[in-house]
Amino acid sequence: MRRILWAVLIAAGTIAQLPAQLRITGLDGLASKAKESVDITLDPAMLQMAGAFLAGGGKDGSDVKSLIAGLKAITVKSYKFTETSQYRMEDLEPIRAQLRTPGWSKVLSSQSKGEMSEIYMRTDQGKVAGFAIIAAEPKELTVVAIEGAINLQDLSKLGGLGVPAIPVPGQSKDQPKDSGKKGKQE
Amino acid sequence: MNLEDELRAALRREDPSSGFAQRVVARTKVTPRSNRPIFRMAWAAAIAAMVIVGLAGVYQYRQVQAERAGRDAVIALRIAADKLNIARDKVSRREN
Repeated sequence: MRRILWAVLIAAGTIAQLPAQLRITGLDGLASKAKESVDITLDPAMLQMAGAFLAGGGKDGSDVKSLIAGLKAITVKSYKFTETSQYRMEDLEPIRAQLRTPGWSKVLSSQSKGEMSEIYMRTDQGKVAGFAIIAAEPKELTVVAIEGAINLQDLSKLGGLGVPAIPVPGQSKDQPKDSGKKGKQE
Repeated sequence: MNLEDELRAALRREDPSSGFAQRVVARTKVTPRSNRPIFRMAWAAAIAAMVIVGLAGVYQYRQVQAERAGRDAVIALRIAADKLNIARDKVSRREN
């Protein structure tokens, strides 16, 4: 009996020490209202597979591979609507509530004309251990949660360059490639 | 010859020919079809073919999964990067 009690106490202590992983909840109903939606969830096993796949994709692939090397999970939910007011700020409350818990800190916030952008970061021993973005626009809502060590400068370089070339092993760089946007969009 | 005699002649007891018992025993010891080497080889080939097809299927499935994961990772990071840059731009515009 005493052994069981100790085991329970140790397990509870271990769970309490686990870093708070952000769960993107409360947005599931938005996909049916959206004209375009992206719902991507990559766990460690999927990221490992992605890394192995991207390793054979030249420089583009190695850039992305090095970015995801330290990651444990990526979750992206993005919705584009034809009309405004398809979601409420209250829909984001379950996510923002998690981001108010110890460990997370808001590093950037911008609000203007019905638009809102927030960037949160979780650090562990001085290193980035988690990263979250909430970007709300009148006709678009995006929530990104990244678990693990990520270099934001390197991540920033991936953006603003149009549709990235998706490296396919064995395919030459000059060949036209389909946009990755097709991926999980519904 | 009446009917009774004919029946008696037809049904009379006869001893089997010599070696009958040995022949019966010998027939029971014939190798079953499935134990013949040709059948064993056919079974082994069929099982090997099934294993190869199965492994090829698993490899193909994993390749497709890896490709999908790679594409998803690129899309997810690109969206994250875009939103990060947009948020930074908004803040820097506001500060300027």
